[in-house]
Amino acid sequence: MRGLCPLAIAAVLALATAPAFAEPQLLLSDVPVMHEEAQAAGLNQTYDGAWEFFVGGGGAAFDCDGSGFPSVFLAGGKNPANLFVNKSKRGGPLKFEEKRIDVDPRLLIGVIGAYPLDIDGDGLTDLFVLRVGENLLLKGGPNCTFTLANKEWSFGGDEGWTTSFAAEWEKGQKFPTLAIGHYVDRFAPGSPYGTCEENSLYRPQPGDRPNYSVRTPLTPGYCALSMLFTDWNRSGAPSLRVSNDRQYYRGGEEQLWRVEPGKPPKLYSRAEGWRHLSIFGMGIAEGDLDGSGFPDYALTSMGDTKIQKLDQEQSEHGEFPVYRDIAGEMGATAHIPYIGGDKRPSTGWHSEFADFNNDGLLDLFIAKGNVAQMPDFAAFDPDNLLMQQWSGKFAEAGDKAGIAENRQSRGALIADFNLDGNLDLLVVHRGAPASLFRNLGSNDGRGGVIPPGNWIEIKLAEPGPNCAAVGAHIAVKTGTRTQMRTIEVGGGDASGHSGWVHVGLGVAERAEIRVQWPDGEWSYPYRAFANQFVVVDRAKPQAEYWYPGR
Amino acid sequence: MSKIIARRLVAAGLLAILTGGAYAASWDERVFASHVDFDAVAAAGPSALPALIARGRELFKAKFTTADGAGRPKATQAIVPTHRKFGVNPAFSRLSGPDSDSCSGCHNDPVLGGSGDTVANVFVSEGFESAEFDSTDPSFSSERHTVALMGAGLVELLAREMTADLRAERDAAVARARQSGQDVETDLVTKGVRFGALKARADGIVDFDGLDGVDADLTVRPFSRKGVFTSLRQFTINALNIHHGMEASERYGVRWTGSHDFDESGVPDAVTPGDVSALVAFQATLPPPTVKADLPPDWREAAAEGEKQFETLGCASCHRPTMPLKSLVFTDPAPYDTAGTLRDGEVKEGISIDLSKLPFAAQLKRNDKGEWLIPLYSDLKRHLVVDAQVSALGNELQAQRFVERDVFLTPRLWGVGSTAPYGHRGDFRMLNEIIVAHGGDARFARDAYLDLPKAQRETVIAFLRSLVIETSQ
Repeated sequence: MRGLCPLAIAAVLALATAPAFAEPQLLLSDVPVMHEEAQAAGLNQTYDGAWEFFVGGGGAAFDCDGSGFPSVFLAGGKNPANLFVNKSKRGGPLKFEEKRIDVDPRLLIGVIGAYPLDIDGDGLTDLFVLRVGENLLLKGGPNCTFTLANKEWSFGGDEGWTTSFAAEWEKGQKFPTLAIGHYVDRFAPGSPYGTCEENSLYRPQPGDRPNYSVRTPLTPGYCALSMLFTDWNRSGAPSLRVSNDRQYYRGGEEQLWRVEPGKPPKLYSRAEGWRHLSIFGMGIAEGDLDGSGFPDYALTSMGDTKIQKLDQEQSEHGEFPVYRDIAGEMGATAHIPYIGGDKRPSTGWHSEFADFNNDGLLDLFIAKGNVAQMPDFAAFDPDNLLMQQWSGKFAEAGDKAGIAENRQSRGALIADFNLDGNLDLLVVHRGAPASLFRNLGSNDGRGGVIPPGNWIEIKLAEPGPNCAAVGAHIAVKTGTRTQMRTIEVGGGDASGHSGWVHVGLGVAERAEIRVQWPDGEWSYPYRAFANQFVVVDRAKPQAEYWYPGR
Repeated sequence: MSKIIARRLVAAGLLAILTGGAYAASWDERVFASHVDFDAVAAAGPSALPALIARGRELFKAKFTTADGAGRPKATQAIVPTHRKFGVNPAFSRLSGPDSDSCSGCHNDPVLGGSGDTVANVFVSEGFESAEFDSTDPSFSSERHTVALMGAGLVELLAREMTADLRAERDAAVARARQSGQDVETDLVTKGVRFGALKARADGIVDFDGLDGVDADLTVRPFSRKGVFTSLRQFTINALNIHHGMEASERYGVRWTGSHDFDESGVPDAVTPGDVSALVAFQATLPPPTVKADLPPDWREAAAEGEKQFETLGCASCHRPTMPLKSLVFTDPAPYDTAGTLRDGEVKEGISIDLSKLPFAAQLKRNDKGEWLIPLYSDLKRHLVVDAQVSALGNELQAQRFVERDVFLTPRLWGVGSTAPYGHRGDFRMLNEIIVAHGGDARFARDAYLDLPKAQRETVIAFLRSLVIETSQ
C-alpha cells in the first residue's frame, strides 16, 4: 500500500464494516509474562524496504537440525533473509546463531516470507520462500543446510509479487499441492488500483520426485495477503481460503476455492452459500474455539478483525460455507489500539490462535502496525494478545503481557523456542529489528512469575511422503472437553511454523489424543501424561515420549 | 470472629496463621469463620507448625456446612473442574457424592486418620459422562474401602525420592543415547524396586514398553488403591470435592475456571491453599503404624515365625518390610504436582516440616547410610493381582486414570492388624481370605502360602495381626 492511497476513504470503510465493536472484557485468566530478548538471544533481523515491502515480513519456524528446537528463517525485504539456528536450552534464555544459507545471496534479497514443509518426503524440512520476483524452493539437508531446488523440482519460480502461500497433500498425491498468492501487478497499466495479479496452483506432476512444471491459474486474483487450505466442513477435502486486500482490487472479495483431487479449482459461489465479504484481508488464523469440530477463522484487516464461525443453521451443518462474524460478541474486534489513546483504526496483519497461558483455551495474537505513515490509521498500534476467558470471550492482555511495542508489526512465529511448554513469540517488524519474546510464565499479580497450566506438545509422523501428516486433525480430550488442532501449511502473514503442536491442558494431568490422519482414518486414543512431548507415529501402537537433549 | 473464638485461637497459636475471617457469633456453625494464610505460615517457619497441624486436625474432623460451601450443586466429582450437564446435585448422594460431612467420617478406625468400616466405603467415578449414578454396579463406579493415612508423610517422601531416582535414570539414559548415537536400555530401579526398563534412542525418543508398575511420566503415585495421586495435597483436593463438595481455589478457582464459585455453592473460594496445607500437615505428621507392643508370649513367638515365613514365601517381594528414606523433611507444596495442585513456583516460600523432630521418628531404624527405614510393607508399585484361576480381586470394570482395572498399588501392610476388612473394597473379613485372593503377580506367594501346613499359615496371620495402629496415638 503506497502512501498516496486515499486513506480517509479506507478508514471510513474499515470502520463501516464493523457491525458491533467489542466491549472490553474482564481479564480473569492468567497473563503471560513475555520477556523481550531478541538482542540477547543473538537474533538481529530487520525487515525493510520500499513499497513492495510494506506488506509481508514473515518467516518460518521449524526444526532444521533434529534437535527438536525450532530454528527460524526470517525475511528481510531489501535486507537479506537469514537463518537463525536455535541453540537454546530447555527452559533457559533464548539463544540463536546465524547460519549462512548456501544459495546465491541475491536470491535472499527481496524475501517477503516463508513457510516450512517437507516437500519431497525425505524427513527433512524444506522451505517455500516468498519473494518479490522468483520464489524459491529450498530443499532442506542435514544440520540446517539448504539447496535451491527450483530446477530439480521443475518449479519455474512463479515470478511476481508473492505475498501468500499454502500447501496441502491432495488425496492420492505423493507430493504437496502448492498455492501461491500474489499482490499487485506493478507493471500493469493503471497499477496499483485494480491490478491484482492472478494467483497460482501447482499440482505435483507424476513421477518419483516433486515436479511443479504445470501451473493452474487461480483467477480472479484479488491481492491475496493470506491463503490457507482448510477443511472447513470436515469433508476430508480441504478448500483454499484466500484473504484479499480490498485496497487494490475492484469488485473483489474474500474467496473460497473448492480444490478437489483431479478437478480444476472452482470458486464457491453465492448459490453455494459463499457470501460477499470485502475487507483489507491480511492474515488468516484457524482455530476451533468451542470444540465444535468446525474451524473458526480470524481475519485481520484495517479496522476490525473478523472472527468467522460457520453458521450451523444456514450452512446446513457444513453443506454450505455460510459464516457469521462473531468477533463483536467474542470481544475480539481489536479495531482500535487498546492503549495509547489513538482512536484511529488499527491495522492488523499476522493472526494466530494459540494458548499462551496453558489454560486450555485458545488465545488470539494479532500483529499490528501502520502500513507506513497512513494518517487515518493509528500510528501507535500495539500488537494484541487477546486471552480467551472461560466465558468464551476475549480480553486484551497485550500491555500487561509486555508485547505492546511501538513498532510496525507484520508476520509472527508462535512456537515454544526453549521447549519449556510455554509458547514464545517472535514478531517481525517493518523497519525495525524483530522482537523475540520468551514466555516466562504467568504474572502472579505481585510482580512475580508463576508457572502456567499443564501442557502437552505433539508431533505426528506417518509413513509415506506426507510424513509430517499435513492435513491431520488432532483431538486432545481432557475430561469432557476436547480441543482440536490441525496440521496446516499456510495462513497468517507470510509466516508459518512446523514441528511441535502445543496444547494447553489447564489442570488436567492426563489427556487422550486421537488423530484423524490425512486419509481420514481416525486413530484409537493414545494416552499421555501432561507436560510431556509426545510423538504419535502412525506405524507404532503406542504414543512415545520425547526428551530434549539440552 | 468473636472475641471468645479469637481468644481461643490466640491460645492455640492459630491467630497468626488465620486471615480474612469476619466477626461471627460464638455459636457460629461454620468451619471456616476464617482461613489459613499460606504465606503467613510459610514465613513463620517451624513456630507456626503446631498451630497448622492443630488446624488441620480440626478441619479433618470438621463437618462442613452449607455456609462453608459444602455440596457442589453445579459441579461433578471430577478431578478437573467439570460442570454438570444439567440439573443440580443433591446435597448428599451416598453413591456419587457428596457422600460425607467430614474426612473423619471415613478415616476413623481405629483412630482419627485411620481406615474405616465397610459402611464407609466410597464409590469412585471419573465424574465426566456418567457423573451421577444410583447403582453400585461396577460399570458406573469402583467401590473402595478406606485407606488408613497413618505415616502418610513418610509415604509421600518415599515416593518423591523414587520419582527423582527414576527420572534421573531416564535422563541419564537419554543423554547417553544422544551422545553415543546408540540405543540405551536401562533398568528402572529405585530403593531396590524394579519398575521395568526403558530404551532411550539417539533421537531423544524413549520406549516405555518395558515399563512396569509406574506411569510413563515416571511419577510414583503412592496414594489411593490404584496409586493415582502424587501427593497428599492432590489427594486432599480431590477428596474435598468428591466427598464434601468443598472446592479448593487452587484447582477450582478463578485461574482455571473463570469463577470464584465454580460449583455455585454460594461460597466463593471455599477452601484456600492455606486450608489445604493445614489438612496436608495434619496427615503428613500422622505417626506411622507400629508393631503391637504388648503381645502375649505365644503371639510374639508365632509372629516372629510368621515374619520369617512372610519373607520365605515371597510376600516381601512386593510388601517390602522397609524402604530407605534419605530425608524426613516434608515440604509443601510437593515437588511433582502439576497445575491445579499448588506448586513450588506458585508460592513465595514453601512450608517445611521436619518429621525427624516428631516423636515417632525415634522409633524408626536407620541403615548404615543413615537412611531412615520406613516399615511400610509395600513397594509403592502397581501390580496385576488377578489371573485366570484366582480372580476374586478382579471385580472392577473401569480403568482409573490410565490404570487398568485389575492392577492395584501394593497395599501398605503397616497397621493391617487394625484395618479390617481387607482388599480394595473390603470384601474380605479375614487376613487368610485376602491372602488366598492374591492372583496375578502375587500368585506364586499365595500358592506357597497355601502349601504350608495350617499351623505355619497361622504364624503369618499372627505376624500380620501384630502390625497395628496404636490407639494411644
